[in-house]
Amino acid sequence: MPQKDFKTRLKIEKDKLANNARSNNDNKSSYLGSAFKLGTELVAAVAVGTIIGFILDNWFGTKPWLIIIFFFIGSAAGMLNVIRSAKTMQKRD
Amino acid sequence: MAANPMSQFNVNKIGPEIKLGGVDLSFTNASLFMLITVTTILLFLYLSTKDKKIIPNKLQLLSEILYNFVAKMISDTAGSKAKPYFPFIFSLFVFVLMCNMIGMVPYSFTVTSHIIVTMVLALFIFIAVTVIGFLKHGFKYLSIFVPKGVPVVLLPLITIIEIISYLSRPVSLSVRLFANMMAGHTMLKVFGGFVISLGLLGGWLPLSFSVALTGLEILVAFLQAYVFAILTCIYLNDALNLHH
Repeated sequence: MPQKDFKTRLKIEKDKLANNARSNNDNKSSYLGSAFKLGTELVAAVAVGTIIGFILDNWFGTKPWLIIIFFFIGSAAGMLNVIRSAKTMQKRD
Repeated sequence: MAANPMSQFNVNKIGPEIKLGGVDLSFTNASLFMLITVTTILLFLYLSTKDKKIIPNKLQLLSEILYNFVAKMISDTAGSKAKPYFPFIFSLFVFVLMCNMIGMVPYSFTVTSHIIVTMVLALFIFIAVTVIGFLKHGFKYLSIFVPKGVPVVLLPLITIIEIISYLSRPVSLSVRLFANMMAGHTMLKVFGGFVISLGLLGGWLPLSFSVALTGLEILVAFLQAYVFAILTCIYLNDALNLHH
């Protein structure tokens, strides 16, 4: 195949790609990825909050109280995480 | 064949026991499959980029797609400042992807179905991102814990919430990958066990489920690698571009 022929074909394909980049709404699979993401986001923060509460309780000897408080703070952090990642998802669309 | 669906996750020693200062460093099937993964990746990338042509052959095309995919992911989520971190994210993505995919081969071992592996990866990313943030912005990096426009009364509470949210990153990153891989492989094994126990008459339904699940698991294997890499990009973006 002559080199020139290939170059024009490459240019046509590149133009096509540039045109498609805007209209092509990514791959559908990334939505499933986002769904997986949100679930763990919520649970992880609750778990981390509770663990921090448990450790602080052991330190200060205030047995049940800090773990309860940090459980709720962790839940709040989890919701914050979910809202944040949902916002970034909306921005990407 | 082992009937227990969890026995596929057992870590067995291969060869002699090696102990270094009380730490068990024996070669296990997990290490074997990590080696297989790394060798496969290196061989693939070497062979596919050996003779670089303008018109790529199929192998070269595959690695170019892989390169473009990761490059686009980084520039979309973390911007141009994240370009220097491309090699790290590329290796991370390809390693997790290959581990997941090699785990789909029957009788093989899924490295990423162990939380210790995913946790080490996630903690490394977490510490690296934190260090990068402090190196780039100094103590101003701490301002990500203090969002703008919050009343002074609420500030201590919000800061604690932000810190917990920040600390939950490695947990969610590692648990997501580990849980998805482990759950999927357990499910495959359970349905496989149903096929055996129901025999020739009733085994067809779980067999068809097994086939469908295998397809789903390959999708999940890819997706989890993708999510792992894209979240690394997002965290990197937070560290590089302070904006709240």
